[in-house]
Amino acid sequence: MAGIDYSRRHLRVGWWSLFVFATLGLVLESLHGFKVRAYLDASSETRRLMWTLAHAHGTLLSLIHIAFALTLRGVPELNLRRPELISGALIGASVLLPGGFFLGGVVFYAGDPGLGVLLVPVGAVLLLTAVFLVARGTSSGQVLEKKGIRRS
Amino acid sequence: MTLKNFSPRLLGTLAVLWLAVPAGLGWAFVHSRDGAIPENRAADRPIQIAANGYASSQPCKACHPSQYEAWHSSYHRTMTQLATPETVVASFDGVRVDDVPGRPMFLEQRGRELWADFDEPDWDGQGNAPPRIQRRVVMTTGSHHQQIYWYATGHGRLLGQLPAIRLIGEQRWIPRRAAVMHPPGGALISESGSWNAICVQCHTTLGKPEFSSPFGTAALASQTIDTKAVEFGISCEMCHGPGEEHARLNASPLRRYALHLRGGPDSTIVQPLRLNAQRSSEVCGQCHGLWEFYDKVGERAANTNGLPYRPGDELEKSRFVVQPTRNQSSPTMKMLLEDDPRFISDVFWSDGMVRATGREYNGLIESPCFKNATDEARKMSCASCHSMHQTADDRRPAHEWADDQLTPRAAASGGNETCLACHAQLGGTQLQNHTKHLAASPGSSCYNCHMPYTTYGLLKTIRSHQISNPSVQSTLETGRPNACNLCHLDKTLDWTAGYLAQWYGPARPPFGAMTDDDRSVAASLVSLLKGDAGQRAIIAQAMGWAPAQQISGTNWLPPYLAVLLDDPYDAVRLIAYRSLRSLPGFNGLAFDFVAPPDRRGAMQRRALELWRDTRRQQGRRTDPALLFTPEGSFIAEKVDRLVNQRNNRPVLWRE
Repeated sequence: MAGIDYSRRHLRVGWWSLFVFATLGLVLESLHGFKVRAYLDASSETRRLMWTLAHAHGTLLSLIHIAFALTLRGVPELNLRRPELISGALIGASVLLPGGFFLGGVVFYAGDPGLGVLLVPVGAVLLLTAVFLVARGTSSGQVLEKKGIRRS
Repeated sequence: MTLKNFSPRLLGTLAVLWLAVPAGLGWAFVHSRDGAIPENRAADRPIQIAANGYASSQPCKACHPSQYEAWHSSYHRTMTQLATPETVVASFDGVRVDDVPGRPMFLEQRGRELWADFDEPDWDGQGNAPPRIQRRVVMTTGSHHQQIYWYATGHGRLLGQLPAIRLIGEQRWIPRRAAVMHPPGGALISESGSWNAICVQCHTTLGKPEFSSPFGTAALASQTIDTKAVEFGISCEMCHGPGEEHARLNASPLRRYALHLRGGPDSTIVQPLRLNAQRSSEVCGQCHGLWEFYDKVGERAANTNGLPYRPGDELEKSRFVVQPTRNQSSPTMKMLLEDDPRFISDVFWSDGMVRATGREYNGLIESPCFKNATDEARKMSCASCHSMHQTADDRRPAHEWADDQLTPRAAASGGNETCLACHAQLGGTQLQNHTKHLAASPGSSCYNCHMPYTTYGLLKTIRSHQISNPSVQSTLETGRPNACNLCHLDKTLDWTAGYLAQWYGPARPPFGAMTDDDRSVAASLVSLLKGDAGQRAIIAQAMGWAPAQQISGTNWLPPYLAVLLDDPYDAVRLIAYRSLRSLPGFNGLAFDFVAPPDRRGAMQRRALELWRDTRRQQGRRTDPALLFTPEGSFIAEKVDRLVNQRNNRPVLWRE
């Protein structure tokens, strides 16, 4: 996997993903604006919650992609041990977390989301894995010393 | 100074404070606004406590949001509420209420508390006048037509009732006695303790009176009263049964998804729509039916544990459903009639059809669509027409649905579609052949002919819930106005008998069965002038019913409605006034139905003057059946004769 420009990849994924989920936000606002009953009725409360969560998580993850890309560029001494795993996990989380929420709102059972929501915990694990690995990379001695921060 | 000067621990502490202080202030603000006392600290009123396997409606919302929302919009939920500035429909902000017995009542809002200053309703007659008392209003009953207010008596959880009731439609206070069909001058029963002993059974979920000795057997002052309920108002568990186990088990997503994917019922909760018509209707009948305890033992047990009936049970296992056509000679009925000989006649017409509202289950079980149905799938139940949760395909605003909680099909186009689901042979082109009225006219509405407005309660009439055919014979035997003459107000009973015989075949009642009046005077006027207070109320409301006004004309109605403005019964006067105001030219007519007789007389004369004015523009009726001469004057002696024959039996309808 040597030679892959992760920074470029995540910038691209981040901005396109932001475009997709910001558009979803616009669609949801339109559903409010036009008072679409399938979205706004009391019986659709679960759908409303699931799709709102899909929009929120998707948008936030897009920003995480961008932040990750900029971190790679701005902190070249960052000591990431498994960059391909981090990259894959972040992209997987971006698909599974909002996707799970979205599918959970397409078909649902009264107060319970549809089975698509099962994708969410998988996405959450991927996200946590990626975040943990990045956090660990930022804590390595090399990075901290370059930034002039003394380890306790 | 920069952040680097602070230790991480100090920074952490500051961050926690930064979050905690606004959160604490917000919590304090919200709770100071609410001002609610925790239930377990409220000592002067009944309290809500989940018990006996009941969990209250709170856990239901998470899994059943739309059902919860629909219930939340319903008047079932608000049947009993804690009195707060938000739940009371009347202002308490320095209000003086004159329409009470004795001296005026004064209402006051102190912070978020509601207070009333009034004459002691339970005055023992000692001294010159009842003492004044100041009491905190703690609870309300009703939010649809009327609202009743209950105050803390200071004796345990015992409640007393304010002497005035708020009439929501008229936006006015009325004396408590005027809110029910009650004989004029009759002694009023004290309402202290009524909520704890009676209202609690159906206006709360699993209410427990908890009197130390049965209500009515000992002086209230000597009693310990610890009334509780699972929840105020008629909430989820009233129809679905205790839900604690259901909520607990379904906290597991695995169980929920197994149920979703498998389909079918969850054995931990009752779904009334999955019960058969009998059991399903009994769920409603537990409150919308007239019942009594079989014996004192059952009554005593219910005092402590609440009523033993649970949705899905056989209703009559734990209570005696009073229905004279079925159990007139049973030992329990005999016992009830020994206690109160008018127990039946105050609630039922003489043929056993229920005549008081709130007892719709009694009407259902006597309906042929229920009792004669052999096919369970086609057997009528309450759910045939009513839906306790507004369905997703129902386009009506929630408040419109909440009015009668009808299904969209039952609410649409006169409800015919509901009946035609079984009686399909009468639909389409056959409808007109069956009804003998134009298909689009009110005369072709199933409801209008088979569920006429012959039941009374809450200061109005409602449709009978016993499906029946229009029958002159029944009118002659019971005095109950028939559907034909409730619309054709200007026609005689004889006229109706002729058409019914011609169209539907049954023989006309024998000649001797009808009086001269039945043959020559409009049936509505016979009931209005000669009938008892209940019959007068029914006719008075029919005179304000748009379809009846349309077919019978309106320019002859004012003098007769004006007669009722001086009726001895408050309820009849109010209904007559409402109908009078619906007539052309009478919208601005002022009338206070609880004013003293001399003032009412003046207002009655004003109504008659208005009629004379409008008659010039609208023309005169000269029908002898309406007791008018060919010149359009009253046949006064005939009117007087009928009024003199009025049935003055005391009418007290147990709503």
